[in-house]
Amino acid sequence: MARIDLDSVRKIYPGGVEAVKGVDLPIEDGGFVVLVGPSGCGKSTLLRMIAGLETISDGEIRIGGRRVNDAEPADRDIAMVFQNYALYPHMSVRQNLSYGLRNRRMARDEIARRVEETARILEIDAFLDRRPKALSGGQRQRVAMGRAIVREPAAFLFDEPLSNLDAKLRVQMRGEIKQLQRRLGTTSVYVTHDQLEAMTLADTLVVLNGGRIEQAGRPLDLYRHPDTTFVASFLGSPAMNLLSARVSGGDLRVGSLPLAARLPVPDGPVTAGLRPEAFRLLPDSTSGAFRLDYVEELGSTRLLHGHLEGQRLVCQMGIEHPLADRMTLDLDPEALHVFDAERGRRLDTAWQRAQIRSLA
Amino acid sequence: MQTKRTIFHNRWLPYLLLAPQLAITVIFFLWPAAQAVRQSFLREDAFGLKTEFVGLGNYLRLFSDPSYLNAFQVTAVFAVSVAALSMGLALLLAVAVDRVLRANQSYTTLLVWPYAVAPAVAGVLWWFLFNPTIGILPYALEQLGYDWNHNLDGTDAMILVVIAASWKQISYNFLFFVAGLQAIPQSLREAAAIDGAGPVERFFTVVFPLLSPTTFFLLVINVTYTMFETFAVIDAATEGGPSQATNILVYKVYRDGFVSLNLGSSAAQSVILMFIVIALTFVQFRWIERRVQY
Ligand SMILES: Nc1ncnc2c1ncn2[C@@H]1O[C@H](COP(=O)(O)OP(=O)(O)OP(=O)(O)O)[C@@H](O)[C@H]1O
Ligand SMILES: [Mg+2]
Repeated sequence: MARIDLDSVRKIYPGGVEAVKGVDLPIEDGGFVVLVGPSGCGKSTLLRMIAGLETISDGEIRIGGRRVNDAEPADRDIAMVFQNYALYPHMSVRQNLSYGLRNRRMARDEIARRVEETARILEIDAFLDRRPKALSGGQRQRVAMGRAIVREPAAFLFDEPLSNLDAKLRVQMRGEIKQLQRRLGTTSVYVTHDQLEAMTLADTLVVLNGGRIEQAGRPLDLYRHPDTTFVASFLGSPAMNLLSARVSGGDLRVGSLPLAARLPVPDGPVTAGLRPEAFRLLPDSTSGAFRLDYVEELGSTRLLHGHLEGQRLVCQMGIEHPLADRMTLDLDPEALHVFDAERGRRLDTAWQRAQIRSLA
Repeated sequence: MQTKRTIFHNRWLPYLLLAPQLAITVIFFLWPAAQAVRQSFLREDAFGLKTEFVGLGNYLRLFSDPSYLNAFQVTAVFAVSVAALSMGLALLLAVAVDRVLRANQSYTTLLVWPYAVAPAVAGVLWWFLFNPTIGILPYALEQLGYDWNHNLDGTDAMILVVIAASWKQISYNFLFFVAGLQAIPQSLREAAAIDGAGPVERFFTVVFPLLSPTTFFLLVINVTYTMFETFAVIDAATEGGPSQATNILVYKVYRDGFVSLNLGSSAAQSVILMFIVIALTFVQFRWIERRVQY
């Protein structure tokens, strides 16, 4: 077990693509860090640099305090789970698990002990002598996990390990990975583009955008206080509503509709963020500003899709609430996030922090 | 796999459509093969005046004929050497090229060039290189204290035909090996690298085993090639000599039949060769079908 430190790490691929543009990230011993972001934001590149599968163009990576920039993958004491599992097709499950141990010249009875132990933990003992071809996707996934666990490395690296599984199995494996990591206490770095997977697994969630860290922190902190519109819209499903608005004299209006007053925010155009579940809509057929377009039933809740001052707005409410063609917003001003209209940076941080403190 | 099925309403049309292909097969393969089988049971005198039925006589004589058994041995040495040399070199080149290709896809088209050029140039090239009077290699070997003369020395002659025959195969094998290597996912090598296997170990424990279907396919193809299609190489370079050192089975069929006019024996030899081809083809289909990619 070990901590991992990234110091202004950069990656410039031959050909000039700058995939990672200076990332600083301290990862605690035993921490579970999830890197999340849209396709092409450099998640895999960053992970592969930690693994030693890509050279580090600039900056420094330390594992357990030791600089590993020039160390071979084998000498970094890490194990990696690949998206396509990368099981050796010509070896049995047992051989797949023991390959890394045999290469390290471990004693034979110790190898046997560890393989048995790992197989028991992951419940793959029944097919230790099968080839990967004769396993289901979920079983292969377990074997891939087993190959990482059996080595007892300082850190696990996962690159979208669940993306080849069906939705149900993904949820189940997600839970198992989390439990396993808790139990083993091994430092883990996990790459995914699925925000739900990211939220549920992470101790520390790192949102990447265009090769830079957009925001890092505990999942709920990121969810509640996104620093940018990018993080705001990336986390949460359905995504946060982002409305063009204007502040004048501390009053925030969307079109002609006032949403909040006395904001400590300079005058000018802003982006107002509203989580779909953070407000309610009340029927008001005469003066309601929200025009309902259609409703999606989710079972216990429903999604109301409509327009507010010509801008699209989604609201998530319990099914007990009455519906109407025109509705008014019932909004707690604290649920409102205010971002700079141009750069998408949060404007109301100080104000909101003060609010939270006064509540506590 | 679902294939498209056509229904013919005219009973004879399907046979008519098959006829050209069947005719070619019958005229150029089945009929000569039948002739060879018939001939192999007969013995003819040198002037073609008298023919008698000798049953398995021709075959029995062959298997007690030291020069025929020698040809078997020569063929085996030749086939194994050519397969080993051409496949070994091709694999070496393919591994080198595979690394370049993984870094840059745009080279792929260049790979077809050696295949287009090699066979045409090969004959001339080796003829020049090894020519005892004007060739550079005998000269170079002489400087090293080796007296190269494939006209007198059986081993030299064998080396010459092995190199000449391999040369042609290298580009062919190379292409298959490159394709095979490219088909191995990069993540497997990466997993092996993380699992603590060095480059050499990685090659022998992961890459080469995964390449085995390709290797096996090429082995059969190369053995078939050396046994049957190297006639021209032998004929041009050594004519089976010196003293039968490079007299492979196929060449012996030709020598015995068309030069020595021993038609019965020659026919028996070609029937035996035919069985070898059938066996190789059978092995090829059975095994490759069963041992396809993982
Ligand atoms: N070998 C390479 N050579 C050049 N550019 C590359 C290479 N690998 C990745 N890139 C580029 O680097 C950027 C980041 O790629 P990366 O694979 O890290 O993205 P990712 O976040 O993992 O995306 P995804 O979610 O699709 O897997 C992309 O713009 C990609 O085109
Ligand atoms: Mg990726």
